[in-house]
Amino acid sequence: MTITSSVGTVVTELETEVVVSAVRHPADDVVELTLAAPDGRPLAPWTPGAHIDLMLGEDLVRQYSLCSSPADTSSYRVAVLRTPDSRGGSVAVHELAEGAALRIRGPRNNFALLSAPRYVFIGGGIGITPLLPMIEEAETAGADWHLFYGGRTRASMAYLAELEKYAGRVTLVPQDEQGLLDLGSILGTPDAQALVYCCGPEPLLAAVEGSCESWRHGALHLERFAAKEVEREGDDESFEIVLQRSGLTLTVPPDQSVFQTMRDAGVSVLGSCLEGICGTCETGVLEGEVDHRDSVLDADEQEEMDCMMVCVSRCRGARLVLDA
Amino acid sequence: MTTSHAAPRRCPDVPHHAWYAAATTEEVGRTPLARRVLGTPVVLYRAADGAAVALEDRCAHRPVPLSDGRVEGDDIVASYTGFRYAPDGRCVGVPTQVQVPFGASVRSFPVRDDGSFVWVWAGDARLAALRPAPDTGWLRDPAWSTFGGAWETKASIGLLLDNFADITHVAHVDPDIAPPALDAAPPPLQVTVTETTMRFARDYPPAPLADWNAQVLELPADAAHAQREEGELVSPGLWVDRWHTTVSGHGQADGVHTFVFTHALTPVDERTTRHVWRVSRSFASSAAAEGTLAPIFERYYGRVREVLETMQRVVDADGPRPEVRVAADAAASAVRRIMERLVAEETGAR
Repeated sequence: MTITSSVGTVVTELETEVVVSAVRHPADDVVELTLAAPDGRPLAPWTPGAHIDLMLGEDLVRQYSLCSSPADTSSYRVAVLRTPDSRGGSVAVHELAEGAALRIRGPRNNFALLSAPRYVFIGGGIGITPLLPMIEEAETAGADWHLFYGGRTRASMAYLAELEKYAGRVTLVPQDEQGLLDLGSILGTPDAQALVYCCGPEPLLAAVEGSCESWRHGALHLERFAAKEVEREGDDESFEIVLQRSGLTLTVPPDQSVFQTMRDAGVSVLGSCLEGICGTCETGVLEGEVDHRDSVLDADEQEEMDCMMVCVSRCRGARLVLDA
Repeated sequence: MTTSHAAPRRCPDVPHHAWYAAATTEEVGRTPLARRVLGTPVVLYRAADGAAVALEDRCAHRPVPLSDGRVEGDDIVASYTGFRYAPDGRCVGVPTQVQVPFGASVRSFPVRDDGSFVWVWAGDARLAALRPAPDTGWLRDPAWSTFGGAWETKASIGLLLDNFADITHVAHVDPDIAPPALDAAPPPLQVTVTETTMRFARDYPPAPLADWNAQVLELPADAAHAQREEGELVSPGLWVDRWHTTVSGHGQADGVHTFVFTHALTPVDERTTRHVWRVSRSFASSAAAEGTLAPIFERYYGRVREVLETMQRVVDADGPRPEVRVAADAAASAVRRIMERLVAEETGAR
């Protein structure tokens, strides 16, 4: 196949060299890194809910939410829980000392805070991180908000001191003192004016999803750190993709992703986690019906059929036309 | 408390939670200046200590523009009604009674005066503190020589951004300004995105410079030089292009010579955009060089304006239409997505 000149176009996310300018431990097993450009220049602006990739080594790229304030672009802050049994990212982060140099990618945002008069924030453990800038924004905008923050123990829960000033709006639920978050009472009555933002471990997310079933579509926003289980109906089939900007028509075989098919044809498409979590490979859909298998888009966004995560999602019919 | 009228959102496709250059720093003084930003009339002036003030340009009592009035101390006093407003928009005096009407005020806009532009925050004033205004430090750096112009283009900001994101049209717009590097098929386009910014770059193999460019660099017209083109959406109201020419083998002229093209874009309304453009150069600082360059860029950006105004007329007459996209649109597509996302965040729209 002849590759047209269009394939010369390369789209990448911004990569920035940073140094660790401060290290703090805001809770047991949690390290907070402050990252700044070595020359002190401002970093790219972002909005609450954004995250960055820390490029910790060959094939060791991990996503962490920004937990500082978008008002300050002189540095970013991330907070990372040590999870020794995971894939090794958190251990590598905990080894970084002040002055260490590393590359970051982004920021990107799949968990953007939409404007609303009322918010319910639900944080589980280290899932508090993206909620901190959201709380600052909600408070600044004069919104009515409440944070329900659960963790194993008080000592394991980061940023309790920072949250003290919001005393009346914050409910702390350390599991060893009070058990699990009482989602039935928190989310039992749907609120047409409120948006729910939740970040935490998968069981909490699943429980919150269940509790929000009676809420209006689009009210619930989740940030996942692990891919959602997707039920498959039968074997995958091949289909055709038309890449309008590149002027290419390609066949996606049953055992290959749209992402891989595009890459193999020399088309530039962004990718990071390749598990449908991070949202990097989001691609515009101009025609066709997508078989969504990602953990980024909510049900409403999936129904709109105007974009897809090409690393995992496929086609319900024979053909997709993509803005690529 | 101000009464809120549920008016339809003006400039619905444009982020309001953003800083826009309502005026240049030197335009704002003790005489009120009338501007329109995202469909809202704004009056700009300086308080007694020199701080820039931006208020909605309409008296709360009768529909007269405050800009028809006068500045007294820190306040602005409306003509006709005589209502007096403080820099925070509060009415602090009326001529006909001692009691100031309770709660009378006009909208006050957060302002950042960086010495080049007076940036006005067009959205919810409370959120301005959480978003830094963009930096255009090179416009105040003595290492750079700058000239420019300003006008209103009768076209939406979206049409201006689409244009800046793909300057392969330049040869069609103005063949005289176009660098010969653009004659060949364009080299690969490298697009770099973040949540809120987009940059693109193209590296051109050595090619001769346009005659005017060789002239100001005092280089032979036919000598070839590597060139790099960069464009950047810094924020919704600020676009910056750069053109780097790497000269070697020409003695004192050797080195990287850079043009920075700054475009402050402020939506006036849905189909009009205030366009302040600045051309800065790191070389040939002489007045003679500016005498060569200024008319060339004035004509080029003027032609861009004409083309964009034609496009707006076509859209106005026959409506928008889905457009065929080509590879060179990668940068424009990225810009559109950033703008759409920012609008969705602030409107809460799905």
